[in-house]
Amino acid sequence: MFGKILIANRGEIAVRVIKACREMGIGSVAVYSEADATSLHVRQADEAVPVGPPPAVESYLDMERILEAARATGAEAIHPGYGFLAENAAFARLCEERGIVFIGPNSTALELVGDKVRARRTMEKAGIPTIPGMTSVATSPEEFRVAARALGYPVMVKASAGGGGKGMRIVCDEAGLVPALESGKREAKSAFGDDSVYLEKYIEEPRHVEFQVLADDRGHTIHLFERECSIQRRHQKILEETPSPALDPELRAEMGETAIRAMRAAGYNNAGTVEFLLGRDRRFYFLEVNARLQVEHPVTELTTGVDLVRRQILIASGADLSIRQEDLLQRGHAVECRIYAEDPKSNFLPSPGRIAFLREPKGPGVRFDSGVFEGFEVPVFYDPILAKLIVWAEDREAACRRMSVALGDCVILGIHTTAGFLRDVVNHPEFRAGRSTTSFIGKYFPSWGTEEGEEDGRRLALAAAAYEALARTAGPTGLPGRRGKEDVATPWTTLGRWRAGGET
Amino acid sequence: MSVTELDFLVDGEPRKISVETKDKAFVFREGGCVLEAEVRRISANELQFRLGGRTLRAHLVRDGERTFVSVDGRDFVVSEFRPETGRRGEGDEKTAETSLRVKSPMPGKVTNIAVSEGEEVRKNQTLVIVEAMKMENEIKTAIDGVVTKIHVAVGDLVDSERPLIEVEKQ
Repeated sequence: MFGKILIANRGEIAVRVIKACREMGIGSVAVYSEADATSLHVRQADEAVPVGPPPAVESYLDMERILEAARATGAEAIHPGYGFLAENAAFARLCEERGIVFIGPNSTALELVGDKVRARRTMEKAGIPTIPGMTSVATSPEEFRVAARALGYPVMVKASAGGGGKGMRIVCDEAGLVPALESGKREAKSAFGDDSVYLEKYIEEPRHVEFQVLADDRGHTIHLFERECSIQRRHQKILEETPSPALDPELRAEMGETAIRAMRAAGYNNAGTVEFLLGRDRRFYFLEVNARLQVEHPVTELTTGVDLVRRQILIASGADLSIRQEDLLQRGHAVECRIYAEDPKSNFLPSPGRIAFLREPKGPGVRFDSGVFEGFEVPVFYDPILAKLIVWAEDREAACRRMSVALGDCVILGIHTTAGFLRDVVNHPEFRAGRSTTSFIGKYFPSWGTEEGEEDGRRLALAAAAYEALARTAGPTGLPGRRGKEDVATPWTTLGRWRAGGET
Repeated sequence: MSVTELDFLVDGEPRKISVETKDKAFVFREGGCVLEAEVRRISANELQFRLGGRTLRAHLVRDGERTFVSVDGRDFVVSEFRPETGRRGEGDEKTAETSLRVKSPMPGKVTNIAVSEGEEVRKNQTLVIVEAMKMENEIKTAIDGVVTKIHVAVGDLVDSERPLIEVEKQ
């Protein structure tokens, strides 16, 4: 086993990995940028090494500086967390060359699954279902028409150079095909400088269901069931749960088996996730492999009892994966909400700044994986995730109720967060009915902050602020509450700057 | 018994609330609504409102002029407001509708300046791009006019107080 691990990350995930190291008796080394000198992961690690200025490209993404920090501290392994260098095959290879263990898949598998085209080809060869699409380049509208008919409408126009939804068009019938091709090409040209597009079968109102996989170096591969991640905004997950309300035991077994085959085909080891798109017709299609520990890994931990970070470290140290597929059971239901520093009332605008007050939710079945603390200044340079709130309960309904209460108990003041918004999502009747699809947020929450409850809340906030202002201006002798719980009346007459007795 | 009237901005909107003490309870009146409750201070940051059989909780913290309040998972920013001096510190400042001091809606880093001084701009045209937390935000002008002053350069860190650019109506 390793004596010391360097964690090449920051925030809640760095804190999570440091905890695993401490539990396993392994020394931990944090790295930090100038913006993170007082961050939680720096405080909790055994050692901390500065790796550069605030911008990630000059610090957390600087491979040489990270490797030098590992060498200088004598760390034998590097845990990359998620994001930053986690799925960087060049970094994994550099680690291998320098004799430092990269806690993740081997660089060959990482490279393969990171290349969407090669990954898709590998999966098709292994008989893994992928979204039907054009395999050859078409030039004339007639070729596209033939291809669209073969796929069956609706189809989607996608940019070959693709990404970020640019150049994407949904076509419902043949009449719409040519206009969609033209506008899709225009947008692709301006976004990527390349106007080539292709057609893919459009999966209507799909669910995003992924399977967690663990594989040791000897090829023993198991899956730890699914995570339902359909609740997304801007193609980013904000709420995840397991089990998925959409799967029954047969479909679950079939998808899990497929996930294992996909990882074997890629020569994958350590922890990884196979993402599928699940159609309303219960057909599923391979999307991609997430070759890392995922943000939403705790819901799997709470329902299977397997500590995924500990397993990652064990596998990386060369240990056999001692769990057999038949040993695993899903027990109860887990939900995760991502608490972002964003303002849900202003189109999820980033909201960096100082956390003036923090109250973490707690109680039976409540887990709060946090990277922040009261007084912490959330920097502008990085991903807006502050913390993850994860709950476990016996069944989905109980888990949703527990989450709703826990979100209400989660108080972060000084910056805006997504906690209140997520509470309304969890309490939405469509969500409670298990009907979550990737279009859920756009459909039911086109905007937020105007519903019922908002105005009542605003009024109470106003009353609280008024009480507080009066308490403050009343002076030290007249502070309500400072003289004990029962004392609710105050001498208003001593009020200073506030106008007493109505209009002046 | 005494009544106090207070003026606040809640999430940027002016609100007037009156507070009256009545025996051990407080009566809050706001926009035709009345809230009669006993108020208990649980801690420096938590108040409990008891009304009828219900107990409502509010967490709050003061940070300079602003008070952040959380009620039932919803967050509000309440700041003191003096109606005679007009709205302050909220968004772009307009002076007599002829010029605009454009500000960033949040702290961040200037990654692009899309205009130059002396350039004519149209309403909703992008002036500056400010990146925060891996997200690009286009800062646009709310009026037609001419860019009279650019206060920032690419790479600058900005807050939501300092003007980025000034636009004057022609």
